[in-house]
Amino acid sequence: MNSSLIARVLPAFGIGFALYYAPAYSFTGGNSTFSWPLFTYFPSVGDYGEWHMWLVPGSDTLGPPMWWYGWIATATLVGLVFAAIAALLPAKAVEKILASLVWVVPILAFVFLANWERAWFNL
Amino acid sequence: MATFFLIIHGICALLLVGAVTHQALGVFWPRRPGQTDFIANARGIRPQVYVIPIMILFVVTFILGAGIYPIYRVYVRPPLEDLRVLYGIGLFEIKENFAAIVLALLPAYWYFWKKTSEYPTTRAALTAIVAVTVWYNFIAGHILNNLRGFG
Repeated sequence: MNSSLIARVLPAFGIGFALYYAPAYSFTGGNSTFSWPLFTYFPSVGDYGEWHMWLVPGSDTLGPPMWWYGWIATATLVGLVFAAIAALLPAKAVEKILASLVWVVPILAFVFLANWERAWFNL
Repeated sequence: MATFFLIIHGICALLLVGAVTHQALGVFWPRRPGQTDFIANARGIRPQVYVIPIMILFVVTFILGAGIYPIYRVYVRPPLEDLRVLYGIGLFEIKENFAAIVLALLPAYWYFWKKTSEYPTTRAALTAIVAVTVWYNFIAGHILNNLRGFG
């Protein structure tokens, strides 16, 4: 893979991942209409837990849901889509923009997520 | 067995903290010529040497953390909710979110350190993001383990 291509593809992947992950975490709930996670894992079912596609809320029979693996999976797919799109865009112009966005977007995602977490700290 | 993996997770995190700290010092506070004291020696490193060890340690620590996460979800978080120790849960939620986003940044981090000498600001910013995340996750993990370990 040539350097110009990876200069666009790798940052674009990180940007796409962060852009999806932050709202996915924040807006997922048991009654969400959109399935942000690709799958749900129920760790307390049987010896090895149980996997269900898409968002499944917790229940008395299934126990607490884990969506984190599912968010990572979906965000990875979104990151790959961003990377594929970046690969098709003109090299020089996009490279500079991505070199900035690759750290600005994650910082914004961190701020967005930290703001969302304030509820845990009674802030 | 979970406790064993938790300890390995912690040891990898400790090594990772050391590596990111050296790298961040080398980037943001490099040793000046003539400085020979202990702190200066900690700063007088070649930051690019740490890139691959940091990536490997981050991925290994992440995988171990992801592997023991279900035990936290079933045995640690519910008692914290019952006891209303909600800040502990919040600390962990931030930790898992930062870890996931930084994991996805590692390919770009590798590229800007290893494949190009352009974009020094991006290189420095990614170094800072990785270092802050690793330090936060290390401290949050310890606090959480003190609140309620796997036992």
